[in-house]
Amino acid sequence: MARASHRVALTVISAALLAACSSDATSSAQDNAPSLIVSTIPAGFPKGTNIELAPADNALTVERATLGKRLFYDSQLSRTSEVSCGSCHQQAYAFADPNQVSTGIEGRTGTRNAPSIVNAAWGKSFFWDGRARTLEEQAGKPIENPVEMDLTLADAVERVAADPSYLAAFQKAYGEAPSEASLQKALASFVRSVVSGSSAYDRHLRGDDSDFGEQRKRGEALFASEKAECFHCHPAGSLSNEGYFNNGTYTAGGDTGREQVTGRVGDIGKFKVPGLRNIALTAPYMHDGSLPTLEAVIDQYDAGGRGDPTTDPLIKPMSLTDEEKADLLEFLRSFTDDALLEDARFAP
Amino acid sequence: MKPRLLTMFGVAMAMFGGVLGCASANSDRAAAGGAAGDLGANVGGASFGGTGAGGTSVAGMSDFGGAPSGGASATGDACEEHPTLLRSQGTELSLQLSPTLDGKPMAFGQTNAVSDGGSVVPLNFRFYISEVQLLPKSGDPVAVDLVTENGEAENYGMHLFNADDDDASTVRVLAPAGEYVGLSFALGIKLACNQQSPRDLADPLTDVSQMTWPHTGGFLYLRYEGRYTAAEGSAATPADIPSAVHMGGSITKEMVPRATVSGALSIDANGRATANLYVAVDEMFKGATSNVDVSDVAVGLLSTPEAIAGERLRRGLPELQLFTLGEFQAIQ
Repeated sequence: MARASHRVALTVISAALLAACSSDATSSAQDNAPSLIVSTIPAGFPKGTNIELAPADNALTVERATLGKRLFYDSQLSRTSEVSCGSCHQQAYAFADPNQVSTGIEGRTGTRNAPSIVNAAWGKSFFWDGRARTLEEQAGKPIENPVEMDLTLADAVERVAADPSYLAAFQKAYGEAPSEASLQKALASFVRSVVSGSSAYDRHLRGDDSDFGEQRKRGEALFASEKAECFHCHPAGSLSNEGYFNNGTYTAGGDTGREQVTGRVGDIGKFKVPGLRNIALTAPYMHDGSLPTLEAVIDQYDAGGRGDPTTDPLIKPMSLTDEEKADLLEFLRSFTDDALLEDARFAP
Repeated sequence: MKPRLLTMFGVAMAMFGGVLGCASANSDRAAAGGAAGDLGANVGGASFGGTGAGGTSVAGMSDFGGAPSGGASATGDACEEHPTLLRSQGTELSLQLSPTLDGKPMAFGQTNAVSDGGSVVPLNFRFYISEVQLLPKSGDPVAVDLVTENGEAENYGMHLFNADDDDASTVRVLAPAGEYVGLSFALGIKLACNQQSPRDLADPLTDVSQMTWPHTGGFLYLRYEGRYTAAEGSAATPADIPSAVHMGGSITKEMVPRATVSGALSIDANGRATANLYVAVDEMFKGATSNVDVSDVAVGLLSTPEAIAGERLRRGLPELQLFTLGEFQAIQ
C-alpha cells in the first residue's frame, strides 16, 4: 500500500523546477538547473511538505528563499559586519557550528552550541529552549542578540534598504520595501528550503538497504528498543518528537534551558529534542556543546546522564555492551546526507 | 519493496509477536485475534457499574462487550481524520480537564506537596479521550461528537489532553438538549487508529503527540512522568508514587478502558454549558503501583517499570475514582 510518508512528494512550484525533481530531491536538484525550492518530505517525516507547512502569510517561493539565502550569508546583519547567520550555521557541518559555543561579534561567546537548521520546516518550536514558536519569529532573534549579531531589526532593515539590489529583491519577493517582518520572513523561507532527505537512513526507510547493512539494522533495533529507549524522544523517521526533556546533561548551576521560558521548576534542564539527520557531522553535541563525539554521547546516555536529580526519569543506566555501542554509532552514522554538504543551492 | 517503516515494524512485531499474538511478523498492522498472554488476557473480573455519586467507574471494553452500547461511535470503525459529525446542531458542552493531587489542583511543572511531606513535580502528563457518550436518566447512551472551538469535528474523533498545553485542557462536545446523569468515554484511541503508523496520520496521532510506542506498534493511551522529592530526613521514594506510567494496549484487539462518570448535566437547547472534569492523579498513582497481577504478560512486552505501571493502572481502573464531574454551569 502506498503511504504518504514513504514516498517523496514532489510538488514543483514552477516549470523550471521540474527537471530538478526526483525521489532524491536534495541531491538530484543539483544535476541541472538547480532550484532552491523543491517541495519534499524526508523519509518517515509527518505529512506535509516544506511548502505545505509554510504559513499562509509567508508562502514558500523561489524569490523569497533566494532573498533569504542572500540575507543568511550577509554579515551586514551584524552590527560590526563581522558575522552572518552562515558563520555559525555552516553548510560543511550540516548547518551546525563545529565550535562548542557560538562566537558572535567582537569575539563574544554565548552559552549554547548553534543547532542545525536542516529540516526546520517541520519544527514546532525553535532554539534549544523553544522560545520561538515560528521560523519567522526565530529569524530575528540572533540578529538582535547582544552576544551574536547585536543589531536591531530596525537597523538591519535600514542597511538592507540602502542597497538598490535588495530593494528590488524585496519588491519581487514581497511586493514591498524591506521591513522587519519581510526580512524575517525571507530568512525563514531560506531555512524552510534547506531539506535533507538523501541519507542512507532515508533510503532504508524507502526500502533501499544498499547502504544499510546488518550493523546498522542492529543499531536501529536497539535504538527502538526498551533497553536503549532512544525512540521516546527520537521516533523513527523524523527522529524528534519536538518535545522538551532533561536528558541528563544539565548539572546544578548550569544553563536551565526551558525553565528560562516557562519559569517552572519542572523545566529546569529541559531542552528541545533535536532531529538527528546528519548528527555525525554536527559535533560537538548537546545544548552546551560539551560532548565532543558521538561516542561520548552514547557513553553519557549509557551512564544514565550525569546524575543530577532533575534528569528525566526515563534516562537510566543502560549497561550497553561495546558491540551495542558500536551498532548504535553505526546507525547514527546512517543519518548522514553527504549531498547536503555540497548542494550548491544552499551555498553562499 | 515494502516501505522500510513497515518492515521495521515487522521486526518489532517479530520481537514481541509471541506475546501480542500477532498473525504475522511482517504485519501491515492488520488486526489479528488476540492470544493468551497479550495485555488483554487478564482484564476480567471488574464490573462496569459501581459508580457512586460524582464518582467514576472504568471498565475494559474488551471484557465488557467491546464497543459501548447505545449509539454509534462518532467515527465509526474506521480511523478517519475528518469524521462526519453525528449531528449538525447541538449545545456546546465544554469539559475543563483539571488534574488534582491529594484533593488540590495539580500544578504542572511545579512542586506539589503530597501527604507524606514530600513533593511531586509532574513533568509529562497526557492522555486520549474518544467516543464520548452522554448518559440519559433512562434509555440508551447518546453518542456525541468531540468538536473544536470552531465547531468542527476533532481529528479522528479524539482529544489529546496535554497538561503542558492550556489549549488542550478543554474537551468540547456537541450535545443534544436533555437531562443527563453523567457521561462516559474511552480513555484511549480506537483500534483502527492504533493500527496505523504515525507517519500516515495527522495530529493528535503524530510523533509530536509523544504517545507513539514503536517497539510494540500503536500508541500509548496515557502517559505520565514526574519527579518525587522526599521530605528532608526521609529517604527513598515511596512505593505508591511512580516516576513514570505508560498505559497502552494492543494493536490486535480492543483494550481501551472506558470511564463512566456520574453527575447531573442539564443541557438546554440554547446557549452553552461548562463543567469541570477532575482527574485524580493520586488515584492514577494508586493504580499504577498496585499489586494487580500482570504476570500473564510476557516479560518481553512489559520490560520496563513504566510499562508495568501502565498495565497495572489499566487493569485496576475499575476500582479507581480517576475522574469526577463537578461545577456544571449552563450559560445562556
